[in-house]
Amino acid sequence: MIPLPNSLPIPETFDQSSSMWIDEAIWGHRLYDEQLPWMVFLEFLNVFLYELGKQRAFEEPNGLNTLKYRAAHRLYLRNILFNNPGLAEIRLTYPHDANRWDEWLKRMRATATGINQPQFNYLREHFHTFDDFCEVVSIVRSTSLEVNSNKRWTSKFVFPYGPNCLYEDLDNTASTNDRRFFGRTGEVLYLMLCRAERKKEVLAALRGHLAKADRTWDSIIKRLQPLDDDQPSGERANAFLAYAQHACFDALAEDWLAILRLNISGFDVLPHLVNLAGLHVISYQLTVSRQMLGLDTPLSFICEVVAPKKTLVRETSCDLYQENNLLPARAVETVILGIEDSPEWQQAITENGAFEKCTRILQDKVRWGEEYDGPSDPGQLMTALRQAAMKRHRQHVANIHRNYGREIGLISKRGTTKLRYAPTDGLLKTLLFANVEKRVELHAFLGRLHSRYGLVFGDKEAEEVLAKGDFDKKSFQANSRRLEQRLGSLGLLRRLSDGCAYVVNPYHVVSQ
Amino acid sequence: MKWLRFLRHYGPIARNDNMYDETIQRSALRGGIAPIDFEHPMQSRILQCFNAQTIAPVSVILTGTAGDGKTHLCRQVWAALGGKSDAWGSDSAYLTMQHRYPGTQKGVKLHFIRDLSGWAPQQGAEWEYEKEQLLQTFCDSLFTPDPDDIFLIAANDGQLVESWRRLKETETVRRTRQVFEDLLVEDRQEQAGVRLKFFNLSRTSSAELLDRALQAFLNHPGWQELKEGIPAENEAFGPKCPIRQNYELLQAPLVRSRLRSLLELCDYNGLHVPIRQILLLLTNAILGHPDVKDHLMVASDVPKVIAAGTVSKASLYNNVFGGNLSEVRRQGITIFDYFERFQIGYETSNRVDNILIFGEADEFLGAYFDEFVARDRFYGADPRFYAAKQEYIEGTDESEERPQNFLQLLISQRRGLFFKIPKDKELELSLWELTVFKFAGEYLDDVIAVLKSNSFVKRPILSRLVKGLNRIFTGMLINSDRELYLAMSGNYSQAKVSRILIERVSVDPSKGEKVILRYDPSNDRVLLSVFFAPELQVDFNLTLIRYEFLSRIALEGALPASFSKECYEDLLAFKSRLIAAHTKREEKERMPTGSTIGLSLLTLTDEGMPDPKFVEIAP
Repeated sequence: MIPLPNSLPIPETFDQSSSMWIDEAIWGHRLYDEQLPWMVFLEFLNVFLYELGKQRAFEEPNGLNTLKYRAAHRLYLRNILFNNPGLAEIRLTYPHDANRWDEWLKRMRATATGINQPQFNYLREHFHTFDDFCEVVSIVRSTSLEVNSNKRWTSKFVFPYGPNCLYEDLDNTASTNDRRFFGRTGEVLYLMLCRAERKKEVLAALRGHLAKADRTWDSIIKRLQPLDDDQPSGERANAFLAYAQHACFDALAEDWLAILRLNISGFDVLPHLVNLAGLHVISYQLTVSRQMLGLDTPLSFICEVVAPKKTLVRETSCDLYQENNLLPARAVETVILGIEDSPEWQQAITENGAFEKCTRILQDKVRWGEEYDGPSDPGQLMTALRQAAMKRHRQHVANIHRNYGREIGLISKRGTTKLRYAPTDGLLKTLLFANVEKRVELHAFLGRLHSRYGLVFGDKEAEEVLAKGDFDKKSFQANSRRLEQRLGSLGLLRRLSDGCAYVVNPYHVVSQ
Repeated sequence: MKWLRFLRHYGPIARNDNMYDETIQRSALRGGIAPIDFEHPMQSRILQCFNAQTIAPVSVILTGTAGDGKTHLCRQVWAALGGKSDAWGSDSAYLTMQHRYPGTQKGVKLHFIRDLSGWAPQQGAEWEYEKEQLLQTFCDSLFTPDPDDIFLIAANDGQLVESWRRLKETETVRRTRQVFEDLLVEDRQEQAGVRLKFFNLSRTSSAELLDRALQAFLNHPGWQELKEGIPAENEAFGPKCPIRQNYELLQAPLVRSRLRSLLELCDYNGLHVPIRQILLLLTNAILGHPDVKDHLMVASDVPKVIAAGTVSKASLYNNVFGGNLSEVRRQGITIFDYFERFQIGYETSNRVDNILIFGEADEFLGAYFDEFVARDRFYGADPRFYAAKQEYIEGTDESEERPQNFLQLLISQRRGLFFKIPKDKELELSLWELTVFKFAGEYLDDVIAVLKSNSFVKRPILSRLVKGLNRIFTGMLINSDRELYLAMSGNYSQAKVSRILIERVSVDPSKGEKVILRYDPSNDRVLLSVFFAPELQVDFNLTLIRYEFLSRIALEGALPASFSKECYEDLLAFKSRLIAAHTKREEKERMPTGSTIGLSLLTLTDEGMPDPKFVEIAP
């Protein structure tokens, strides 16, 4: 396995909200589990469009990890869509159009949050009747994200039809981004693409996609906002990605490119981009962990195509899931051990003033130690660090694998009680579209999924990955037959005769 | 009696499939019996490649699945071109002969590889040098102007692709592999500039194969010999013999017609039945019985079966579905797997079950019971049936087992009804409700037959299909059938509920738009075609299952996901294509767009009629 490059240095003005710098040093600031892939993508879009507007998309002109950007708030829009419970009631109780408007405007003036002296009159210019207004609001809500969850209203998002739909997450009082759901993983995603080899092509593809997009809904959403609603946020900074280069960044870029170059119409591309973003973040976290641990075998995911009863594939998948789930924590442990075994530390504990020297070492390396109030003993200090670090890691970073995996359809409990790798139809489609240009023989496709992502479906790949005792040819053959049937029922497979099938991409672009 | 012994070879017995044709030939020779033989529909076209006057001889590849008749056809060609039958009788998978095409002076060397899988190296092994050279010669011959070697290769498609992948990668090998892939996946027979004709035997109509096979099967002299043996009452082929009864039933026009319909419907569902499976079906139908060795009767079994009173278990109607075999065995056999999808015997209607269970005593249904059940001395109501029925109705036995027994018999009776209800009573007794495809009869008679005779499908059928499409495209229980509603949800083209109306396409011809059903003879398919303009159309392959799906949604308000997820995905993909075509048309007619945005939003009235609401958003 390729050894891990050195982690980039801690930035001088690092985010004071970080109580230590270990997870960040390994992966970045930061990977956040409560920010699921769609939120990651939305945050990314905010950053991307701002940087695009400043003519520096995917560049880091002031050096690595110096990203600074601003995001919109669009509170008029958000109050109308998500902080507007009286809409239906007003429509029912007040019969005349004028009355409806008056009542509604009155209520909004009183209850709208986050706006200084809210004034919604501008809406009457755009809509003939209050009824029309209600219909449009209803349609926009129906395609919005997180609409049915019980998240706070400031964390509900309009579908990203265009630049006028983007805004950042805010706290309950609608005043600041408390990093609850926009936890910076979108910024990290942006930085990953800044450091990918093929970033220029990705930029061109994204710009092409934006140019071709249907502007209808973006315009409609623009009209739900007053003309002068441009209160951009304060400057956002302090995003940090730990490496100047990494194979995972390039893999992400390649997959996005593959999808953007297909003939997929309109906004249907977005779910695929989101799935791939999620997949590559997981892959990044686990791959870096493995590199840090010095493991020389590559990352693997044994995937079960859901069977009616328990199979060996499922058992193996459950086991491997557990194993992978522990990798990040082991990486953290390795870093801490690395400090403990370092010549500096070993030297310091033998000298006079060992405790002060050790404290300084920790302050220097991981920015931690100020709140320590235990005994002045390096051993105790190290133990305390270890405890604090593992606790902090388990709160959020440790859950990325599971949470993102479930969200993109890689990990599930379907048909059983334990979590394991069982890709859904949606994820299978995404993987197919990103990896099959026109058509490819099924076994070649399985081989490609293995070499690019570590995904194992069939017996040939399983044999390479598993120990001889754990490998059962028949179950894996049955597994790939089930995959064949699944792909067939999705209309993505042309079966010839026994043992021969072709996977087909219906969206491939016929070159002129 | 050796005819019956020989016939077993065609039935569902365990065997080595690779040597199927050879085994039968040898067994036939030993027993002095002619094997069941008929001309494959593609035979004359294949022969023509070799014995017609031509300036551009082509190599031929016969492909398809196991049991399609590839090796058999090879032999026919060999014999027709003067090859010696004992040379063919050897075990070699590779033979050659010199051949001169009629009207030409030049001779070519004809290479026959009659079974590529037997000739190619095993999994994981390398090609032998000579064999590899031969295939290189083949690849070269495809692209040379004046070849000295012509080939006839029989291989199933998987084997073809797999073998070529293991050859050393030269330019011609690569080109050849690409040609194979294109022809196979795109379902074509030839490629310009390539000296090759591709015959995919899996594309032959299963129904047509049944016609020919049945003819050859029933007219085989073996049957005549059996009759001439003048068997006694309880002997094989005597008056009480189930084998004889089955043989006569198979000749009955109604039984043949229903059997043919089943195979036609397999074709229209994209399921091809190879010849081997058809012969297996016929053999099993006649000889099947659950209680004998291999579940196939021989002459000596007959007296025992008659004595035991289990003649009804040899019912042809049940054997057709593999009912005489164990479940494991049955599930492993292609034809029974296909037939299982019809669920004949398990689906039923109140009418039918009333006839079977209560008909005996009922004054209205009594006539039907008499006609279809009582009068059938072999497979209708025999003492076992009456006894089980009695127990079932009166519920005397507390155990689970006895009622199960009757329900098993009921399955057999329902299957019998499928083959007994005459054409003129099809509608009255809802024949097709005995299957999972309730609209199959209509599909065959009122759509396919009508389209093939260049006529027009009745308007109510088309309207029903349009209504079904509308319900899926909008995700609402809409009742409209005069126009096709293309609707979207705002963001995704394949969302479940789509309220934003993009376009309404007129079903009746109007301004270049129309929606019609048509038949495509080149690949025997029914197409639903939507025309946006005379030169802009989108076709949808209307298989049986899709037809059933749309009809159920239109008539019964079924939910799309409950019948078939695959159909649902197919239809949403069709909608995406329609929307793409519409967008294309709109691009051509570039109309000035004002900055007022207009939306057509769909809601439904109480009667389910569409009620579009127009909303404008001013700048």
